[in-house]
Parts: sequence; structure tokens; C-alpha cells
Amino acid sequence: MNIYQPQLALVTALTDETHDTRTLRLEFEDEALRDSFDFHAGQFGEYSVFGAGESTFCIASAPTRKGFIECSFKAVGKVTSALREVNVGDTVGFRGPYGNWFPVDEWKGKDVVFIAGGIGLAPVRCVIWNVLDRREEFGDVTIVYGARSVDDLVYKRELEEWASRSDVKIVTTVDPGGETKDWTGEVGYVTPVVEATAPMAQNAVAVLCGPPIVVKLTLPVLDKLGFADEAIFTTLENRMKCGLGKCGRCNIGPVYVCKDGPVFTAAQLKELPAEF
Amino acid sequence: MTDATRETYFISDDDLRALAGDLLSAGTEVIAPVAVDVCASPSAIASSACLRPGVAPVDIEYRALADAAELDLSRGLPVLSLKQYFLPGHEALCCWRQHGTEVEIEAVPTTFAPRVVLAAKSCDSAALAIVDKVMNWDYQDELWNGRREATTIVNLACPVVDESCFCTAVGTAPDDVKGADALLTPVEGGYLMEATTDKGRVLMEAHGARFKAETDTHGAKHRGRQAAEERAAARARVAANLEIDAESVREWIDAHFEDPLLAALGVRCNGCGACSSVCPTCHCFDIVDEEEGIGKGTRRRCWDTCQAPTFTLHASGHNPRDDQHSRYRQRINHKFAIYPLKFGEVLCTGCGRCTRACHAGQDLVEILQAIDIAARRPDAAAAAVAGAEPAGS
Repeated sequence: MNIYQPQLALVTALTDETHDTRTLRLEFEDEALRDSFDFHAGQFGEYSVFGAGESTFCIASAPTRKGFIECSFKAVGKVTSALREVNVGDTVGFRGPYGNWFPVDEWKGKDVVFIAGGIGLAPVRCVIWNVLDRREEFGDVTIVYGARSVDDLVYKRELEEWASRSDVKIVTTVDPGGETKDWTGEVGYVTPVVEATAPMAQNAVAVLCGPPIVVKLTLPVLDKLGFADEAIFTTLENRMKCGLGKCGRCNIGPVYVCKDGPVFTAAQLKELPAEF
Repeated sequence: MTDATRETYFISDDDLRALAGDLLSAGTEVIAPVAVDVCASPSAIASSACLRPGVAPVDIEYRALADAAELDLSRGLPVLSLKQYFLPGHEALCCWRQHGTEVEIEAVPTTFAPRVVLAAKSCDSAALAIVDKVMNWDYQDELWNGRREATTIVNLACPVVDESCFCTAVGTAPDDVKGADALLTPVEGGYLMEATTDKGRVLMEAHGARFKAETDTHGAKHRGRQAAEERAAARARVAANLEIDAESVREWIDAHFEDPLLAALGVRCNGCGACSSVCPTCHCFDIVDEEEGIGKGTRRRCWDTCQAPTFTLHASGHNPRDDQHSRYRQRINHKFAIYPLKFGEVLCTGCGRCTRACHAGQDLVEILQAIDIAARRPDAAAAAVAGAEPAGS
């Protein structure tokens, strides 16, 4: 079996997160692989629909939840549109896990601040569950999540679950105009909401993921709050084909996102040419 | 190039062709330069020359020989490099069959029948050794490696094709054996051949009757001198085309990503990607599914080019390299800075094919010269850019 040949996985559940974003739960057909498959929070894979091709997303489920993996995607291209057509019981392809990961083990004893915009919650959700499944190892957990509108908020059930926990502080927000009559969260862009929430930077790390504009605007705010560049983690997803460091398309200067990333600190981002 | 461990043998012109014939008779595939009628080639774009009566333009291409008589030893440069025989233009990665909701995957073979390349250019064999690095830096590309292992490559010392050649400027040479298993050097009446790897020695031993040992005779000494002179002259010819300090070039590119010189270099490029197709070291690829009727198909990888706007286009519409300047900069950066930094090798063998293929006149010799000047003398480079800046900038 060559490195480009995918594993087969059964779709065992699907959840519509929004009108255009869906989560699939996948279980490997190969029983031995289903039991042995392991990954780290932040790693990604190549998901495929046979006939449509492969597409790159993070593994959105947590490594602490065994027996399955999940991916969340927005139907915007050829492969994601085909993935949206698959049903429970269908077979898809998967290659992975690839890339580096969030150094969760190094965060023991620290406060963890999660900041996400839109579908950027998918890779962050993996880390959130990873941290919550090992809750006693970490300090305060804060989540700031925003989307364009109430409809665009993904993982709504989980947002409610996190809000109901006493050991998690969660702030959800929607862009002005995106609120509904019964919306009880914040109204405003993610960046000012982070500033207003003002998580403590001392002995804390921040995990940030979202559209490039959210990342770009939020980094200076985190700096102002006192977060060191080395304590801010994000994940990049450049266009990829192989995920294995061969196809030559995801590099940012000398860095191959598929191999050297996708997880980078803000300090590492600042060293890279502005080509992502 | 003399190496005490290498034994040199003489093979006559006739015996070299006979060797190709022996291999073919034994069922071994032989890939070698073949003169091809341009007008009859399915891959050729009909040239106006083909419309003129009595004119028969000829290209040289690496082909699998059907007959030993096809072997062309004129030492011209094949249009495409050897890359196509190791990373085919498109190749199957796996096949699938769908029955209802079930899918069955059929693996593709990763071992290949032994084959021999005769009369390869050193710039083409060296490229394979360079690309070996990216194909094996972590995950091993079995398809590439399988073809590499199955192939014995015999280089033919190159006389240097034209002013676009610059192999010595990027660390190889017209008579280099990097990536190859043996070397032929033309001498009076035939060739001197020396094996440089075990694969090369096995090939020569298997066809020992075709070779004569170069014993210490007057004729052997004469041929040895002739070969050495031929090779030294070729090196001097190509060195006159371009001399750069590859390490300074790497350092300069690495430290000047936003420099106007790098932006100006791509001014004539219109992103057709011909340079990537003909390049022996360009290895970037796409992976696509090809349906073959209902419920079955093949997943393939195909050559791709960083010069195409879609290469890095995200599904969201965002494109990290959204203009041709940035795409051309990526090409130069990848070859002369990123790859050397990651793998210790320049991703270029100086074959000059990109320059010859470019219909917009992008000349890599000129470009490397400009960067080399910038790396050595920053003021001169600034003056060069002032003359080459895009209109309106």
C-alpha cells in the first residue's frame, strides 16, 4: 500500500451545524485500525469521496475520544460538495493523521484561552475537548467564539454544553446584524469581545483560529493583554494535495505547512513571509 | 573525474548499439535519445516549419526504444527530461470500485521491471538524485523509489548544447555521474565507459563481451587523454555561460523576500507553466480522481505548476500567491533558497530547458546573474532593477 492510498471509513453519523456546514463521524472499516488509530489535537487528514477527490481538514474530534474521528466542513468546493451528499452508511476515504499538533501536554497547570471565528472552531473544538477530557490538569478554561450570525455558529449543542459547565467560561458573539430576537450572547466582532473579556495572560496560553482577518486583528489585542508570542498558538490550512511534504503547494517561504505545521506560534508566524 | 576505483573500458559505436539490442532481446526496456520527426509527433504543436515542403524538423526525445537502430548518439538535448520516466505526467495512485455503499480499493504496483537508460544527460540524471531527497525526507514515495531502483542509468558526457546551459554554476557538470550508474565519453571509434555504482558494474559485467579493457597501451593512453580533454573543454564551455556563488544566492534570496528585484524578475512571465513541464527537477503535483464509468475510477497524480493561479487558491477564494510576480518569486525561491535550505541541494541542474521553452523570454541565466550581482554588489543590483521595473510601478 503506497502512501497515497487512503483507508476506507464508514460514515456513522452526520450533523448539520449550519445551513452549509456539516460534521461527519467516521469509523475505519479495518477493525484493527479503528482500535489502534491515534492522533494528536491539531493534526489533519485528507478526506475523500471517490470520484470527487481529496480535501484537507483538521480532525475535529478529540484524541481522547476513541473509535471514531470527525470532520466539519463547509460545502464550498468540489470535494466538500460531494462530501455533503454522502449519507450514514456510505464509505469515504481518509489519509492521516498528518502534521504537528498543539503541545497540550506542555500546558499542564496553565490557563487556556480559546478564541475562534466561524468554522475556525473546528480545529479548536478538538483541543477544547482534549483539555476538558483532562480538565483537572489545567487552570481556567475560557472560550470566546464568534460567527457572522446566529445561524453561522457551529457546534451549537456543544456551545450549550460548555456554557452549562461551571468549570468553563464561554462568551459567544455574532457580528452586528447577525443576532436574532432571542439571542442572549454578545453582539460584536470577535476581536473587541476578546479585549472586553480580557483573559489573564499570566501563566496562560491562547489558541486562536479563524478567518485570516480575525487572526490578524486579534494578535495585537492578545499582545496588549500581555500574551507572549510564544504563548499564542494558531493553525494554518494552506491548500494541500499530498499532506506528506511532496506535492509542493503549501509552503510559506521555507516552511511546509503540512510537515512543519499546521500548528504555529505567533512568534513563528512573525518569522514567515506574508504569503498565507 | 579520474577515480582509481573506477575501471574504464572501451566500447565501439557498433557494440554500444549492439548492447542496446542485447538488452531489448532480453526483454529489458531501454530508454534513450531518439530523433523524432517534429511534424509527426502527437505531442508537438504544429510548427509553421511543418508546412514548408521538403523540411523535416527533428526533435530529440527520450523514448523507450523499439529497435536499437533508433538510438540517437548525436548528443543533442532531449525536449523533455528523464523526469517523465520516474514521475510520469500522470500516474495511478490507486483504483476504486463502488458496489452500493461499499468501496473496494485496488492498490497499484510499487515494484517495476528492470530497465536501462542509455546516453542520458548529466543534468537529467543529477535531477533524479536531487528529487530523491524530497521523495524520502520523511514519508517514502514508493512509486518514485520503485522506478529509481529498477533503473540503471548510463550517462553520455555532454558537449554543452548552447548558451542556456549552466550546469557547472549549480554544482553539476556535463560529465557528472550524479544520479547515474555509469558514464560514456566519446573517443575515436567509440566510447570509454566507466561504471560508478554497483548497478553500473552489474550492467557492464552482464555484457562483458561488448567491452574491451583499456590496458596500458599507446592507444588506450591516447583515448584516455582524448576523453579527458573532451570533458575539460565541455566544462570550460559551460562555465563561460554563467558563474555564480550558489550559497550567496541562497542567502540573498532568503533575506530579501520583499526585495523589488525578486518582484521584477517575473515581469515577463505569463504563467503558462512550460518551464515546470520541461524542468527535470520540478516535481510538484496535483491529485485528482478520474471516473471510468459508473462506480469505478482511478486516483491519479499529475504534474502541476506553481506558476498557475489555481495552484494555491483556497476554496474560500483567498489566494496566498495571487499575482504572477509572487508565483515567479516562489519558483526562484523554491529552487535556489528553500530546497537548498531544507535538503542541501539546489533544485536546478542548469539544463536551460526553461529558458528555451519560455515564449516570453524569461532567461534563467540572466536572472541568476542579476541575483548573484545583488548578492555580491547590492548597488549594481538596484541599478539593474531600475531598468527592469514593471511599467507603472
